[in-house]
Amino acid sequence: MGNIVVFGVVWAVLTALAEWVFRANRAHSFYYTISNQGSLALSAFNFLSSWLMPIFIFIVLITVFSLVRFRAPDNEPKPSLVQAMRNRWYIFIWVGASFALNIMFWLHPTAVDLEAMFTNWRQEKAQHPLIVNVTARQWEWMFNYPQYGITQAVNAEGLDEMELPVNRPVEFFLRSYDPFHTYDVYAGVIHSFWIPAFGIKEDVIPGETRSLFLIPNHVANFHTNPLVRVQCAEVCGPGHPYMESPVSVVTAPQFARWIAYQKKLQAAAGGA
Amino acid sequence: MEQQMTQAEARNNPQTKVMHIAPLFRGVIWATIGFVVLDLLTVAVDPFRGHPLVTEPSEVMGWAGAVVGWLMGVGGYEEMILPLFGSPSTWVEPKDWRKYFGLSTNHKVIGIQYLFTSSSIFFVGGMIAMAMRYELMQPSMHFFTYAGQYLTAVGIHGSLMMFGVGTVVLISGLGNYFVPLMIGAKETVFSRLSGLGHWLLPAGALTLIASPLLGYWDTGWRGYEPLASQDPGGIVFYYLGVFAMTLSTILASLNLAATIIFHRAKGMTWARLPLFVWGILTVSLLNLIWQPEIEMTFVMALLDKLIPFHFFDAMGSPLTYLSMFWLFGHPEVYIIVLPAFALWNEIIPVMAQKNLFARDWAIIGLIFVMMLSGLVWAHHIFTNMRNSEMFPFSFFSEMISIPTGFSFMAAIGTLWRARLRLTTPTLLVLMSLFNFTIGGLTGVYLADPPINLQVHDTFFVIAHFHYTIIGGMVFTWMAAMYYWLPKMSGRMFNETWGKWLALWVFIGFNGTFGQMFLLGLDGMNRWVPVYPPYLKPLNYSVSLFAFFLGAGFIATAIHILWAWTKGPKSPENPWHARTLEWLTTSPPPDDNFDGEVEVVRGFYRYDHDEPSAYLVKSPDPVE
Repeated sequence: MGNIVVFGVVWAVLTALAEWVFRANRAHSFYYTISNQGSLALSAFNFLSSWLMPIFIFIVLITVFSLVRFRAPDNEPKPSLVQAMRNRWYIFIWVGASFALNIMFWLHPTAVDLEAMFTNWRQEKAQHPLIVNVTARQWEWMFNYPQYGITQAVNAEGLDEMELPVNRPVEFFLRSYDPFHTYDVYAGVIHSFWIPAFGIKEDVIPGETRSLFLIPNHVANFHTNPLVRVQCAEVCGPGHPYMESPVSVVTAPQFARWIAYQKKLQAAAGGA
Repeated sequence: MEQQMTQAEARNNPQTKVMHIAPLFRGVIWATIGFVVLDLLTVAVDPFRGHPLVTEPSEVMGWAGAVVGWLMGVGGYEEMILPLFGSPSTWVEPKDWRKYFGLSTNHKVIGIQYLFTSSSIFFVGGMIAMAMRYELMQPSMHFFTYAGQYLTAVGIHGSLMMFGVGTVVLISGLGNYFVPLMIGAKETVFSRLSGLGHWLLPAGALTLIASPLLGYWDTGWRGYEPLASQDPGGIVFYYLGVFAMTLSTILASLNLAATIIFHRAKGMTWARLPLFVWGILTVSLLNLIWQPEIEMTFVMALLDKLIPFHFFDAMGSPLTYLSMFWLFGHPEVYIIVLPAFALWNEIIPVMAQKNLFARDWAIIGLIFVMMLSGLVWAHHIFTNMRNSEMFPFSFFSEMISIPTGFSFMAAIGTLWRARLRLTTPTLLVLMSLFNFTIGGLTGVYLADPPINLQVHDTFFVIAHFHYTIIGGMVFTWMAAMYYWLPKMSGRMFNETWGKWLALWVFIGFNGTFGQMFLLGLDGMNRWVPVYPPYLKPLNYSVSLFAFFLGAGFIATAIHILWAWTKGPKSPENPWHARTLEWLTTSPPPDDNFDGEVEVVRGFYRYDHDEPSAYLVKSPDPVE
């Protein structure tokens, strides 16, 4: 009984300490998150962390406890004094708790968050989102704004860039093909469209058009935080590490100015 | 010589031939001949302008010729082909060290061959990992000359470690050596097949290592389509190398499963079967189901590449390849780790001299992990799924932690209030429990789709699976090597050195992969030799720990090799264990037991002194 009490007290104290430290830092579990989708993933991550902490500390403490309290004074092969092969309560609690926790994790965060995620998507779809056509080719991300007639958004140096207005829903259409290789339009490979600061990625599959919704909720750009970038996350050939593009989340007036600038660039280049 | 003659005569062989050429050397020559003949034949039939001698189809045919030549050369000709055509085998297994360098039918020799080959593969794969970590110390290309070269290194590292180490050491290596001993068998069922199977492993590993000669391939160990179909010829050697290595595992599993079913000693009922044997039986069944599945997938991918078909590109279905790969790919990680779970509960009761707690639950856990492992594959492709599909796969992925937990439950129940002897195997098993807990709990995050969509394809996942595979399996492998070293060699290691080296590897391991979780959360994606500069400090630190870890593995290997050859003589049963392998001498004689084994009770009771089994000595053997 003594061991159980000591173990229980140490376990409770360590768990409380760990939870306290974690609570002070949990806003930064994902380092930097600036979208509604990212907040969902972050809160799920933090919820699981809080519940997994006691389990982790339980196992770690058992290993340490075994080394300290149950250690034999010498390596003589003497049988242990306790030879229990069954403990109904221990097995009952262990099996019961592992079922209960797993079912809980499946209901919350998994089921609740999936429901929230797809409800968000439906609502954002109904709110006339900004549409960005994203084309992934080997090895470049290209961004096209059909509602504004921008065929390929670039900066002054002609490099692809993406700008999004803050707090406005965005729908990304994701395609993988190479518009410059018209002789072999099926030559695309799998890419993965990932913006680390937005907390989501989706694979881009040749032959399929996919969509993805989210609302960026903080003004930021690649220079304020390097996580605000489009990064290809699925290996797509030797150019894979270079397949990234800067992202800017800006205010509505700034976005309008950027659109005007894009139109000017496009006109100067003789585009549509 | 006398011995060799008698053995040969026992097979009713009229004229024994002593080989005048080392089997390995003959294997290399025959492999070369096989390659050249079939390669040239293919080129003659199917010429390709610009590449007169080696084309992708011809390298496949040439490779097949080389593997057949190699297998025949190392002894398959005498042991398999001659008997097949009605002639007696003229193969003579040497009695000295030469027996390890040719086809053997003795499961202990085969086990050591596998352990040696696999350790060599672990060394090569580890050195490649060191090169990768050296590259990642800087955010720009400074060591590898081309991103494709780095990606080829990643692919060879992953494939060697998964197919040449992960699925091999505990099953084909320690399983081959100890399963027959632990069930009281004198030999295995398909001894020749098993002996031949080993030689597929070095063939496959060398094929993979040679793949850059045919061009850098860049898909990593998963060979994702349609990228693979664009790759140069190196990808062909990836398919072929993996094919040979998985075939080796299939043959080993077939032999072990059949041996467990048909060659148990008298009294070795299913209820008395040792934990490790249960572990090997469950993974053998997994191997027999899933390894052929991945081989068929690779055959399709290879044909897709050579012909070319359009199975897996935009005209076919890229996602079909992904599912077919992970249908095998997720059971694969349980194939790797199930024997380790079993070994925890094999070693802990011995070191504690305490009854194994809840043995039935530990076995039920192994069986349910085996059954569930085929239902979770699509959590590797949450980024490709419809909303409705995420739900069930998330369910099974979370539920598989329940039977996994049963192994922990039994281990902890056994540890509780034990008189635990703190030996090196004990320490390594406890470290393995610690590491696998981190690997398992981070898996709970990955099973949740919204979190998965953020951390998928980042270093978070790399850290997670290295925690399960190195942390769970490799630490247990080291524990088992120390535990069974006295049995395999008759010698003992140095306890002080063993513990310090274990601590060394433990610190190196957790420093390396613990920090990778942070890298992944901070936006470091996979398969990149070049990354944004803000990630450099953390990467630099990871690399330093990685070099420390690599050195720790080498030091551990040196210690084990030293103990194996020069260590002090060990007592017959140094751990006071009860399983059958300790009933015979160390190292065991050729036919394992000098008499008949009869099991009378289970092996995991330490509350009495009654023996678990008796060895009824046979009278002097009649030659």
